[in-house]
Amino acid sequence: MTAILSPARPSDALPPLARPAVPPAGHAPGAVPDPAVKADIRNVRFFYKKFEAIKNISLPLYDRRVTAFIGPSGCGKSTLLRMLNRIYTLYPEQRAEGEILIDGRNALAADYDINLLRAKVGMVFQKPTPFPMSIYDNIAFGIRLYEKPPAAELDVRVEEALQRAALWNEVKDKLRQSGLGLSGGQQQRLCIARAIALRPEILLLDEPASALDPISTSKIEDLIHELRSDYCIAIVTHNMQQAARTADYTAFMYLGELVEYDETATIFTKPGKKQTEDYVTGRFG
Amino acid sequence: MTGIAASSGFEARIGYWARSQKRYDTAFRLGTALFALLVLVLLGGVIVALVDGAAPALAKFKLGFLVTEEWNPVTDEFGALAPIYGTLVTSAIAMLIAVPISFGIALFITELCPPWLKRPIGTAIELLAGIPSIIYGIWGLFVLAPLLQETAQPLLIESLGSLPGVGFLFAGPPLGIGVFTAGLILAIMVLPFIASVMRDVFEAVPALLKESAYGLGATTWEVVWSVVLPYTRSGMMGGIMLGLGRALGETMAVTFVIGNAHRIHASLFAPGTTISAALANEFAEATTDIYLSSLVALGLILFLITFSVLVLAKLMLQRLQRGLGT
Repeated sequence: MTAILSPARPSDALPPLARPAVPPAGHAPGAVPDPAVKADIRNVRFFYKKFEAIKNISLPLYDRRVTAFIGPSGCGKSTLLRMLNRIYTLYPEQRAEGEILIDGRNALAADYDINLLRAKVGMVFQKPTPFPMSIYDNIAFGIRLYEKPPAAELDVRVEEALQRAALWNEVKDKLRQSGLGLSGGQQQRLCIARAIALRPEILLLDEPASALDPISTSKIEDLIHELRSDYCIAIVTHNMQQAARTADYTAFMYLGELVEYDETATIFTKPGKKQTEDYVTGRFG
Repeated sequence: MTGIAASSGFEARIGYWARSQKRYDTAFRLGTALFALLVLVLLGGVIVALVDGAAPALAKFKLGFLVTEEWNPVTDEFGALAPIYGTLVTSAIAMLIAVPISFGIALFITELCPPWLKRPIGTAIELLAGIPSIIYGIWGLFVLAPLLQETAQPLLIESLGSLPGVGFLFAGPPLGIGVFTAGLILAIMVLPFIASVMRDVFEAVPALLKESAYGLGATTWEVVWSVVLPYTRSGMMGGIMLGLGRALGETMAVTFVIGNAHRIHASLFAPGTTISAALANEFAEATTDIYLSSLVALGLILFLITFSVLVLAKLMLQRLQRGLGT
């Protein structure tokens, strides 16, 4: 694991912002300039009471890139995602160790304002979770938590988010109707719109298509591809093809450890470890 | 051994049991149906008895029974307005006090409470629900009423009593017993019921939904106000209605502290009566037929009031189960 990671891992102790952002060995997909590290996960561990769900994991999440986390159920990939916006702090028996440097500041530190962190790091869950309110208010809810924009500006922000989530055309005539009346796929895109309405920098997608049919799933994947150009995206998925289709980088986790992390093409065509190969070819997991 | 021979042997072996099993099932079905029907018969019997008993009084006083305050056993003039008023006002006071407190308790238990404290508080609330109402009555009469008479009531009379608009509610001497005290006792009694229903309803909110709101950076209050409350609206109404049903029918504790006067006073500190308190107090002294019939008519009215409240509660709980209460 270290051998694969080392090109991306800074070995020096420079302040994170001053560090040159180095992509993993090989060429970054697309001919764009080298991506910058947006979130630097360093030696994190996670505990549910005494159980260690994540065992000393380090890897970078690149800006304007999609990083997929794959692995069998219970390997800790969702847990890792839940560390990034510290949603686990809702549960007193869960705790994290290590550092996650977002733009150079440790987001796991107690003095990192949790509401600011969550504005910066949006999250979409396994199942669509529209709030029991209108479509408009579903989007406006998050914005109103931080700003009190005039009505006209709020309208613009709501439309912008819905446009961005490729939902605007389907809901523009029924913004005042309940968000619960939408189909599953629309609800999930509503949740994505709700997350990006806050103009976050990192987007966490925790199996965003696992409850959706194939057509809705492909819409979500198209959307991820669209959003890639503006956000640092981390996606957890059980669907190997989905990881292969959407992600620039892929991390394979097993039993709380990071087995292998590399460019997606490498993971799926010539993985460095037998375990990874067995998993991506469907021989175990 | 051919297949046919085997299968007919099988039927011969099993046939007897299959038939008797059917008999047992039928007997079981009929037996349980009988028990279930018994409930309907009992309910019908109660209604018939109430209507039958109330008939003479309703025939004599007609609808005037509902709007007459006069309750005079000497002249045999009876009207139900004072006990109806007392029942509704004490229940309203109870709800005004108990609902917000229950809401706070349920919220604390489900959202904010450290895990080790969850169980003790939950158990304490259930124990509170288990205290017999006569104990509440004795406690209300000997502890709460004197306490209110010396502290809260003089304070309220002095402060709110002179306010224009609401002052009349807090006028008169501090007697300790009265409509206000009865409402307070009722509030304490229904609080555990409302709180535990609200707790269950709050716990039914999917964790993911709450996490989504927290994930946007909402505070606990914002999550509760904007997400949990709309999601649980009907369930909460169901819980409140359940509490209201109990408050309307509660007898012993209210009889102890309300003062039992068939009068309607504007002041909440004045003595009054409720339907159930009047029934408990006066059945033994109902010497004339029309007196007794008037009491039964009171019972019928109470039955109708609580029945409609419970039906409402059921409907609201159903709405919660059907969907998301929106």
